[in-house]
Amino acid sequence: MTVSPIDRVAAKTPSGVARRIKGFSDRTIAWIFVAPTVFLLLAVNIFPLIWTIRLSFTNFRVNRPNNDVEWVGLRNYQRILTDPDVWNTMQATAHFLIWTITLQVLIGFILAFLINKKFKGNDMWTTIIVFPMMLSPAVVGNFWTFLYQPQIGLFNYVIAFFTGADPASFSMIGDVHLAPWAIVIADTWMWTPFVMLICLAGLRSIPDSIYEAAECDRASKWRQFWTITIPMALPFLMLAVLFRGIENFKMFDLVVQLTGGGPGNTTTLTSIDLKREAFEKWRTGYSSAYAVILFVTVFGLASIYVKALNKVKER
Amino acid sequence: MAEVTLTNVCKSFGDDVALDDVSMTVPDGSFVVLLGPTGAGKTTTLRMVSGLDTPDMGKITIGGRDMAGMTPAQRDVAMVFQQYSLYPHLTVRQNLEFPLKSPILRTPQPEIDRKVKEVAEVLQISHKLDNKSTALSGGEMQRVSIGRALVRQPSVYLMDEPLSSLDAKLRSDLRIELKGIQANSGATLLYVTHDQIEAMTMATHVGVLDNGKLVQFGSPRELYENPVSVYAASRLGQPRINMLPADIFGGAPAAATHIGLRPEQILQGNGEDSTVHRIEHLGDQTRLHLSFKSHDLITVTDAHTDLKVGDIVKIRPHEALYFGANGARVA
Repeated sequence: MTVSPIDRVAAKTPSGVARRIKGFSDRTIAWIFVAPTVFLLLAVNIFPLIWTIRLSFTNFRVNRPNNDVEWVGLRNYQRILTDPDVWNTMQATAHFLIWTITLQVLIGFILAFLINKKFKGNDMWTTIIVFPMMLSPAVVGNFWTFLYQPQIGLFNYVIAFFTGADPASFSMIGDVHLAPWAIVIADTWMWTPFVMLICLAGLRSIPDSIYEAAECDRASKWRQFWTITIPMALPFLMLAVLFRGIENFKMFDLVVQLTGGGPGNTTTLTSIDLKREAFEKWRTGYSSAYAVILFVTVFGLASIYVKALNKVKER
Repeated sequence: MAEVTLTNVCKSFGDDVALDDVSMTVPDGSFVVLLGPTGAGKTTTLRMVSGLDTPDMGKITIGGRDMAGMTPAQRDVAMVFQQYSLYPHLTVRQNLEFPLKSPILRTPQPEIDRKVKEVAEVLQISHKLDNKSTALSGGEMQRVSIGRALVRQPSVYLMDEPLSSLDAKLRSDLRIELKGIQANSGATLLYVTHDQIEAMTMATHVGVLDNGKLVQFGSPRELYENPVSVYAASRLGQPRINMLPADIFGGAPAAATHIGLRPEQILQGNGEDSTVHRIEHLGDQTRLHLSFKSHDLITVTDAHTDLKVGDIVKIRPHEALYFGANGARVA
């Protein structure tokens, strides 16, 4: 017979203590301790999830609580998956995700690599670099609208300075081709420091003595980088990708503040689209199905990714 | 293979003087052991020769060439680190292959395989070749770390307490093995330890370091029989040399304040009385702990001795070493 860990701990409890709390078995006491957490999790996580799944099969509208709720089966799902507008949003999200992650990991790693060198004042530089991520996304969105302003914006001015183009000749936010890049740039500016910090933790986890051994084994700096630095920092890099991926999949505040999803629908990410369906058009059933689809997508991708991550860690 | 020389080498880390004007010649093909307690500058010496650290002053040559400004790779040294420093994400085999896969060497794969196999057999780690290097015991890691140096034929091997975390049997096996490899290949080896048996059995030369200073350099025998100071004398010998006031037996030179007696320098059978207060039977010999004029002495005697605690043993010194007040040898 296998003994559960709780029973094992219970067996170690001095009988005097066990007796003093009359009427409760040790098992009951254990449950009393975890009950508040379990209750909270059920109330704010599990119940809403189940309720959302239930609503996704109905035509319920939360602004018309007195209407009859009809069971519509998979109609919501069918409508979402065949809607070209939804697919456009998905594409915009994918574009945003791929480019922000690529740029942030690349720049973040390079910054971490440079800051990891021992030089005077690298702590100060770290603090300066980390600054953007301490700001509120709404604030960042707001001041990037000024930076992108064609007549007075610093961004346009800098681009104009280097290319010789007229700064008023292009508008990062107003142009359908440039707007998707406008949000990528702003997000990269804000979150690259975060990736840098994770990469820095990774690089600092590699002991100097490993490099010294490699130095004696006559590995060039280049070979040391590819055979030691990259493989040993890889789990951290992958963790950074995971964090940024999940965070940016639900990106809302920064982009709403910056472009409001426009021009047209070019920067309407799925979370913005979902918010409109749910709380502007009040299509509760439809948006519930939308939310379930997004949940399954993120959850699926993340689990595959975490499996890969664990494999890398075990190596 | 090559001769290594250090000339007036100094090194400080902040206010700590790690090496103070050390000059030493490691002859080509010799096995030099550096002895000294923690902080004496043994590891620092190795790091200077390897090129991982640069001396503040002085000159280091390997094979007659000045090593100033040369990287460890250019110096062609192989180093065994005290803390193993294995590549944790690689297997044992990949760790052993790593130095051979250097583009400088261009070793063909069959040659690499042969060498790795050979070294793994010597170090008794053949069955672990495909394990992750982190999934090994401390002793196994240490052997892989030695192996990583042995797969190459560098101009100098540098080893920092390579046998310290092995069990007694493996340690004596590897001692013989290392000595054999060094003797057969004619390699120059600079070896750090504080195990005096390793020093006595393997070394052709021993250097004794004290607080960053090289106090004596010579063959193990020379050091044992002719130490320059109390400090050098107490580095070698098991049981340790006995230090007593110089006048305890009489006949001491005028400048001497202490007499140093190694166990075999205490002759038993005649002379003055001492009392046995402990007996340790070690199998091949017996250690006697004696009380002599309220001083404790340790000496060795016949393995099958009939002596018991409380017995009286007559002792007298034979070819004793005398030291002055500052610890230096006077006679």
